[in-house]
Formats: sequence, C-alpha cells, structure tokens
Amino acid sequence: MSDKKKEEEEKKKKLAAAAEEDDDDEDDTSDDDDSSDDDEEAASDPKPPVKAASKASKKDEEEDDEEEEEEEDEKPAAAAKAPAPSRGAPPQVRASFAKNLWTITKREFAGYFNSALAYIVISASMVLFGLYFFFYQGGIWQIDRASLGRMFDFVPAWICFLTIPLFTMRAMSEEKRMGTIELLITLPVRDSEVILGKYLGALGVLVVQIALLTFYPLVMFKFPWTMGAFDWGPFWSSIFGLFLMGSAGIAIGMLFSGMTDSQIVSYFATAATLLILFFVGSLVQFVKGWPGEVISFFSFQTRYEPFARGLIDSRAVVYFLSVTVLCLLESFRQLEGRRWR
Amino acid sequence: MSTDVMIYASDLSKNFGSFRAVDKINFEVNRGEIVGFLGPNGAGKSTTMRILTCFIAPSSGTARINGHDVFEHPLAVRENLGYLPQRAPLYLEMSVYEYLKFAADLRNLDESTFKKRAKAVVEVAGLAQVLGKEIRQLSHGYRQRVGLAQALIKDPRILILDEPTSDLDPNEKAEFLDYLKQLAKDRTVLLSTHNLKEVETACARAIIVSRGRVVADGSLDEIRGKSGRVRYVVSVQESTDSPYRGTGALPREPEVADLLRSIKGATRVNELPTDDRAHAFELTSERDSDLRADIFRAIADKGWVLLELHRDTQTLEDVFRHLTIGEERRNRQVGGKAEPAAVAQDDEDDEDDDDDDEDEG
Repeated sequence: MSDKKKEEEEKKKKLAAAAEEDDDDEDDTSDDDDSSDDDEEAASDPKPPVKAASKASKKDEEEDDEEEEEEEDEKPAAAAKAPAPSRGAPPQVRASFAKNLWTITKREFAGYFNSALAYIVISASMVLFGLYFFFYQGGIWQIDRASLGRMFDFVPAWICFLTIPLFTMRAMSEEKRMGTIELLITLPVRDSEVILGKYLGALGVLVVQIALLTFYPLVMFKFPWTMGAFDWGPFWSSIFGLFLMGSAGIAIGMLFSGMTDSQIVSYFATAATLLILFFVGSLVQFVKGWPGEVISFFSFQTRYEPFARGLIDSRAVVYFLSVTVLCLLESFRQLEGRRWR
Repeated sequence: MSTDVMIYASDLSKNFGSFRAVDKINFEVNRGEIVGFLGPNGAGKSTTMRILTCFIAPSSGTARINGHDVFEHPLAVRENLGYLPQRAPLYLEMSVYEYLKFAADLRNLDESTFKKRAKAVVEVAGLAQVLGKEIRQLSHGYRQRVGLAQALIKDPRILILDEPTSDLDPNEKAEFLDYLKQLAKDRTVLLSTHNLKEVETACARAIIVSRGRVVADGSLDEIRGKSGRVRYVVSVQESTDSPYRGTGALPREPEVADLLRSIKGATRVNELPTDDRAHAFELTSERDSDLRADIFRAIADKGWVLLELHRDTQTLEDVFRHLTIGEERRNRQVGGKAEPAAVAQDDEDDEDDDDDDEDEG
C-alpha cells in the first residue's frame, strides 16, 4: 500500500510539473490500439496522461521511451485516485489497456486451472511423451545419443492435435453459450483487450505445458541421472519453436472458437486445421514445382523443422508471428461484428 | 438536451435480418427516476437494453447515456453504467468474491475503494454467506444477487437492469425494490420486468413497449388512465341456502344481466364465474362516471339482495393487456405495414405476409 501512495504522490508532482509544459509527442496513443477508442479517451479522461516533465528533458531518449510506456499503464489509475472519489460521483476514468489486459488474462488463466481440463491434458501429455520417448520403437535406447531429438518429432504434432484445440475450444464458445460475453463486454473493456486477454490466458497454459518439457532433460542428464553430456542448444531452440508454433496455433484456435458456440465444433475445427497445416508438410516430397513450395510455405512442419535441428529460422519466426497477428485481428473483427448482426 | 437526461433514446431501431426487434423507440429518463420498462416477451426490451449498454449497435437512431453517444463513445457509456443482463450470466467457475473483484478491476476500482464498495454491496445483496462459494453452486436467486452486486460495485449513476427480480423470492423482491428506491434518489434506474406489481411498488413511471414500439410512456397514473374506463363488480344473491332477506322473487341470470345492461352508462356487462349462490357481473363504464348509486337503486327496486358492489379504476395489468394484446400479431417485418391501427384490422393478411417473407428469406 505504501508503495502505491508514494507512486501517487510522485504522479501528482509530475502532473503538476507537466501542466506548465505543453505535452507534445506520442502520448496516449501507445496504449490504444484501435482508433475508435482514441476520442473516448480524450472525452472521458479528466486528465489526459501527460508526459513526465522531469523526464522530458534531454536524457537518453531510448531509455526515456521505455520508462514512459510503463508509466502510462499506471497513470490513469493514479489519475483516478487524484480527485478524491466522492460517493455518488465515482471518477470516470477507465483502467489502462495493460491493466485490463492483465485482469482478463489472469482470469482466463485461472479459469483453465479451475477446471480439471488443464491438469488432465497436461499430465496425460507428459505421461504420453515419456512413454513415446522411452519405449516407442525401442525409444531413446535405440539411438544411443544424449539427445531429445526424437521427442521433438512427436511433441509438435501432439500439441497441434490435442493440447491447443483443447485449450482454445472454450475461449469464446463457452462465453457465447453461457451468455457471459454480454456481461464481460458491457463492462468498460475494449474488444481488443478481451481478445488479447483470452489469447494470452490460453497461451499461458500452453507455456506451462511446454515449460514442463524441460523436466525430461533435467531429470535424465542432470539429476538424479546423468546419462551423458546433453546438448542444450537444440533443446532450447526446439522449445522456442514449439512456443512460436503454439502461439500461432492458439490464435487459430481462438478464431474458430469465436465462430461457434459449441466447444466440440470449435475443437474439431481447430484440430483438423492444425493437423492439416502440420502434416501437409509431409507431402512436399511428392509434390514438385511451385505447389510444393506453396505447401512448404504454409506447413507448420517444414517451418518447425529447423528449430528441432537447433536452428532459429527468422523466416519461420516471421511466419508464425504473422499467422498469430492475422488470426487475432480476425478474431477481433469477429467480436466487433457481433454489434452489427 | 438538459443535463438531467441520463438515458436518451431517439428513433432507436434494430433489425435482426428481416425481423424488426426494435422499431423507432423514443424515450428519455431523467436523473433520479426509476422507470419500469414493461412489455410482453419478445417486445424488444432486452434488445433496447443491449443497445443502451453498447452490446449491440442500433440499426438506426441514436442513444445517449449521460450525454455519451452509445455509438461514438461506447467505453465512456459503459463506464457510467451498471448493467445486469437477463438471467445474470456469470462465470460459473469463479467464486463470488473473485467475480466481484474481477468486475471491480475492469471498472478500475482501486483496492481500498473495492473493499469499501464490496462490503456495502455484499450487504445489500445478502451475499455474505456465499462469498467464498463457486457461482456454479449457487441457486438462481443467488446468482441474480451476484449479478446485481457486480452492477452496483462501482456505485454507477445509471443502472440498467434486465429482469433483475425474476429469480428472487417475494421477500427478496421486496427488499430489493426498497433498496432500489433508496438508491435512485440521485441515480437513474431503468428496470425491465414482467411483474407489474413490482413496477407499482418501485417505479413512478413506466414505459410500455409492444412489438418493438413504445405504446405508453408516463407516470403510472397516466398510464392507468390510458384506457379511460372504470370497472364495477356486482353480485346478487341467487339461492336460498342462506336465509333469504330479499322481498322479490329469486333473480335468474338473464334478468340480472338485462337489468344491468339497462343502466345508463354501462358499456360492457360480463358474467363472472361464481358458485350457484350468487350471480356476479362485471360492468365497465366511462372513466368520469360513477354508477354505483344507480346499480344499487336498480337492484333494490327489484327486491333482490345485493351481496357485493365495488368500483375500481383499471389496474396497470388491465392497461398492459389492453395495450399489448391487440398488437400481438402485428406485422414486424421490415418494410411491412407500420401503422398499428391499420394492421389491427387485417390480422389475417398479416399472417400471410409473414409466411411469404419467411419463404423469401
């Protein structure tokens, strides 16, 4: 609490100082991503976020920008406190983008662990990965190398087929079916906050799943067993690749989840799409010429391969990120579209 | 527009495909008013409320909440509102406290204000016992209370409540309405309900919508007076089971009916169902008249025994039915006939129209 008070006082000072100066540059656009919201911000904010005067002086510019962004997130909150909130006339200041995002993300993430689903999926996956790794076709014993390479043949497909669709199927569908979306959206939140929050919540669960994979090498090559000198490079790149592929997959899942109010439909649509996107890569060897190139361009598998070999392919990074952004934008558009139907 | 107009709707329409759910609704609600928003199922109440809360956009027309346009400044509008959707859709896997905290966070309440408000709201909604429970374990009545609590958490100036009392028991309803009355002194409440009793207890004003249109808007007295009729109930003793004190012969039903019809000013005479000890009739007459003396005189002259005679102005319920029932079958297709009066006469045609349009769609 005392921290908050200090913060508040600091902010007041800054605001006072800033009032003398004119606030000029890129102020409150940074936390607003859809343009329609900009005017509202101006209309409802009694004190538009102003630049910290002390900071505005000629210091290291880059550093300055970073700090500012952080502050902007908190500023509306502070401004809300500044005019003593009298009963009956609550201060009409909206929470910042980041704060709302965090609130929604937190709720989504907790939501997964409030139901048994996340536990079951994660633990079952872990057991299955283990079985596959150690026993399928002779398992690791057959290759006789201190590598988890085999593991990463299997894990991405499994994640596409089961983990991602299961995590995303409820994201929007459940809200639609239960009608909770109405209450959520009539709170003062932006549509983009809802979409992004839900996305990050689901991504968070996937990160937990992926992060748990590090247990395998830790247990096998560090403690309690030391089965050889483990090459961590390819492992980390594989994990990173999985994360990228997963973020694209979750964005796709969100999109399908928003299209239907049935979780089952959402699951199968997502699983089918992701599996096709993944395994279409196996066709590359049979298809020559430009169709083959197109397929390998879109295939998650071909995109993922370099990561499994320890190579971080910037084209793949761009590809996965583009898919993510595109799907999220579409989800956003979809949610906004509800108003016109 | 005066600053006291908190909710303002002008020519608000909403089409769902070819179905016109809301058809040029106009109304204003001022600060400090509790307005009952009435209408049969499917009249467009919830749709109107959803437009006002920015959940959906109107097809045409404008609406303003506290001066903010719902179309241009949806976030500003929602900040000013507390909204409880129909049947209180809540996240079932959250606990009551978590839910309130979630709603408060998104409404940007800081920690200390939240604690203060939560205390007040929990008391009002009677949630102290269930604060730690998951919402899925709660009965519908309690869920509705949680929904109310989240709408009230920021102490909003404007409350829009869509059937807030539908799942409450009679005691809870009474308590809730009392609370609303207290609350509304400096706030504005738009309250939709089927229950006309509630409107009579809590609201000074009502807006009645039917088939997407406002059919009545005014103080309850004005609305009651709308149909311009008063009603009499008359019963006359029919049998000699109990000691008969009449001087004339026992009346037969048609005789009584004829007599009552002959009274000047009586417009409609209907027999009411009774047992075989009495004939009971219902009469209506113009609003300004009082026929009680005439009725008594006529019956006494016949030497019959008058068991009961009372006069009442029409209840809200009668008016409600009067205003909405006739309209039930009005054509609501977009571009269909708009004049309710004209439509009332050719109901049959309308039904045909409906079918045609559906085929086309």
